[in-house]
Amino acid sequence: MAAGSEVYILGGYQTDFARNWTKENKHFSALMRESVEGALEATQIAPEEVESAHVGNFAAELYCMQGHLGAFFTEVNPAFSGLPTSRHEAACASGSIALLAASAEIEAGRYDLQAVVGIEQMKTVDSGKGGTYLGTAAWFEEEAEGIDAPFPKLFGRLGDEYDKRYGLKDEHLAEISKINYANAKLNPNAQTRTWYMNKDHALCRTDDNPAIGGRIRISDCSQVTDGAVTLFLASREYAEKWAKGTGKKLSEIPRMKGWGHNTARLKFEDKVAESANAEYVLPHVRSTVTNAMKRAGIADVNGIDGIETHDCFTTSEYMAIDHFGITAPGESWKAVEEGWLEIDGKHPINPSGGLIGAGHPVGATGCRQVLDATLQVTGEAGAYQVEGAKNFQTLNIGGSGTTSCSFIVGVD
Amino acid sequence: MSTPSPKEMRQLLNSRKIERVVVLGANGTMGYGSAALFTQAVPEVTFLARTKAKAEAGLAAAIKQVRSPTVADRSKTGSYDDDLASACADADLIFEALTEDFDLKKDIFDKVEAARRDDSIVATVTSGLSINQLCEGRSDSFKKNFLGLHFFNPPNVIVGTELIAGNDTDPAVVDFIDAFSQIRLGREMIRTSDTPAFAGNRVGFKVMNEVAQLTEEIGVLLTDKILGPYTGRAMTPLATVDLVGWDIHRAIVDNVYDNTSDEAHETNKLPGFMATLMEKGVLGNKSGGGFFKKDGKTRLVLDPKTGNYTPEADINLPDLGYIDRVAALHRDGRYVEGMEVFLNAEGEYAAAARKVIAGYIAYAFARVGEVTETIDGIDRIMGMGFNVAPPSVLVDTIGGQGTIDMIGEAGLEVPAQLTAALASGERLFNHRRINIGKFFVAE
Repeated sequence: MAAGSEVYILGGYQTDFARNWTKENKHFSALMRESVEGALEATQIAPEEVESAHVGNFAAELYCMQGHLGAFFTEVNPAFSGLPTSRHEAACASGSIALLAASAEIEAGRYDLQAVVGIEQMKTVDSGKGGTYLGTAAWFEEEAEGIDAPFPKLFGRLGDEYDKRYGLKDEHLAEISKINYANAKLNPNAQTRTWYMNKDHALCRTDDNPAIGGRIRISDCSQVTDGAVTLFLASREYAEKWAKGTGKKLSEIPRMKGWGHNTARLKFEDKVAESANAEYVLPHVRSTVTNAMKRAGIADVNGIDGIETHDCFTTSEYMAIDHFGITAPGESWKAVEEGWLEIDGKHPINPSGGLIGAGHPVGATGCRQVLDATLQVTGEAGAYQVEGAKNFQTLNIGGSGTTSCSFIVGVD
Repeated sequence: MSTPSPKEMRQLLNSRKIERVVVLGANGTMGYGSAALFTQAVPEVTFLARTKAKAEAGLAAAIKQVRSPTVADRSKTGSYDDDLASACADADLIFEALTEDFDLKKDIFDKVEAARRDDSIVATVTSGLSINQLCEGRSDSFKKNFLGLHFFNPPNVIVGTELIAGNDTDPAVVDFIDAFSQIRLGREMIRTSDTPAFAGNRVGFKVMNEVAQLTEEIGVLLTDKILGPYTGRAMTPLATVDLVGWDIHRAIVDNVYDNTSDEAHETNKLPGFMATLMEKGVLGNKSGGGFFKKDGKTRLVLDPKTGNYTPEADINLPDLGYIDRVAALHRDGRYVEGMEVFLNAEGEYAAAARKVIAGYIAYAFARVGEVTETIDGIDRIMGMGFNVAPPSVLVDTIGGQGTIDMIGEAGLEVPAQLTAALASGERLFNHRRINIGKFFVAE
């Protein structure tokens, strides 16, 4: 693994994930505009400075009847007309793929300042139709066509696989849900910040918390969300100049210290078959996490102060706990029981509320995780700040554990 | 008052325990809504009402409101006569949500005072009665632990909450309730002075009442249209008055009118036609109609002069093309340009709309120092309690000079607080993570 030149994160902006842009009668372009303008203001970067833009999005063609999203970036400001832009897609990992592409271009020395936008508008359709659209992140014809809510069922099977190999209790999944909802109350841009939730409700087995697919109940699910996040990534040279201009020290500016990226076979049954004799249920996810650590020179999860992980369902967070190495494989429940996952715990996971609490605008999630990691290591996370955090790691997953991306964002 | 760090907040939260909450008046809308909120954060909530049956009805309504049967697992019910004394003796927090009647509240506080522990906190959800008057003549321990905790309806949806200390309230109790409400209840806390209607209702109802007054000149439909969502609000103002209820609206503006004498005094005077129609039972949505009412799928519009209703489709509106132009810009997220079109729109109706918006901004800034320490409290309660663009967001979007010109055009005085705020040249709304675009709906 070659160590690349450094990539700095100058900051960014998130739209309020509780917003419904259809109800506000707003076009996709407004979502893009607000996140980009917000990021320009947050970083005090002049639009003329931006050299290139990468847009991560999963399915605007389906949800919004709109493609060619890279071009939409140029609509935000007259100074952007003519910039090289592109769009990236890897289901729920689209935002991270856009970040990888942008950072690779900085490492290659092509550009010094890149905008990365993760964006998805999902509340344009009802939940049935939306569930079918999300099914295209699986092998549609074989795993999703004609199936109601295909993804909850696939991640229900992830829980079943844990149950089969190691045993799995609903109360541990309920606790994961509870923590994410509780953390979301501290996040001014979390979708569920006003929603009613406690562990009893997450364990509730009545129609108030209906089963969606297999063992997955509503309280185990992430949300259908409209949202966008824009980040600015820069080379060391630009970061130095920017630091001087904003009165900061270069050492205070977060860097992408490490990254991981793996793609497993599409179908869930093939993944599980591959890992039948392996230590980890999703070995490629494990590699993504450890590759990022290796690239960052961090030995293990004890060198990580907090995690923003892909809890599209409680089962995916349960999986992430042992795949990050917080516990031995199959023992994720220990971290839940010991209270390690809470904001002031030993291994805080999703102080933002994660996908369950903060929301999951599919193509924006990878960028939202990196923005939250950035806020954490700069001490700007507000009420969900992990005290003294220096290194934060993300894990963003597309499909049923298919595309995995991880970043370690840190300061020295 | 400096903002405590998250760590200090958590320390504050751990400085005392709230495990048992008693809600008085738990059958009312604010009572059961607040009780449901508490069940999310504490192990035991006791719903009390005049009868146990009423308290049980409150519990059923709470379950329905938050759609969780688990509310019942943490709840008890009872009546004042049978259960108040024992419940209050055990309670860490006693939350009063009776009807807005001073004597009624005074009576129940007599019973509370006789039963409570010296260290229990007593909060009232009153939206307008004086916190100091409500605890007048009570014991030192009562006064020390008494405060206003004003949730907005429905509390499970609206997070903006006013926190009002009395003259004798222990600052440590105020800080603790602030932290508890933020961290455990997910509230956006705004500290206000003990002034009539506090901050949110003082400013918010002034605007709605001025809009109601305007209907006498230009009619209901036109008024509601020119002050619609494009001006920075999720719901049109007159539909809001209908939703809130004319009786509640009246109680708030009458209270302000009777107990204040500010520069906009007459805008708080309830329009005569509303008083007349209220005598006939018109109370807004709860009575089947107010400014608007539904006849099947047809929306009917009130004629304030006659009290009769006309189908919306039969009412001719003048050319309001500028609103479409503003909405089209808002739809693309171009809020500054949208408000520029509003500012420059010609015609008497655009001017009438600007007069109300200018009045809102001027009134809010003029209340700084009286109802809150800074404009920030008013901004946050307007944004997160009323779901309308905070005054500072409007100023930032319209521009400082544009705002001053608009206030001048309206024949109003530019408050010194606004001039002072603009002097720095900085953006006024300083919550960088809060999206201001959400306040401007493209309609």
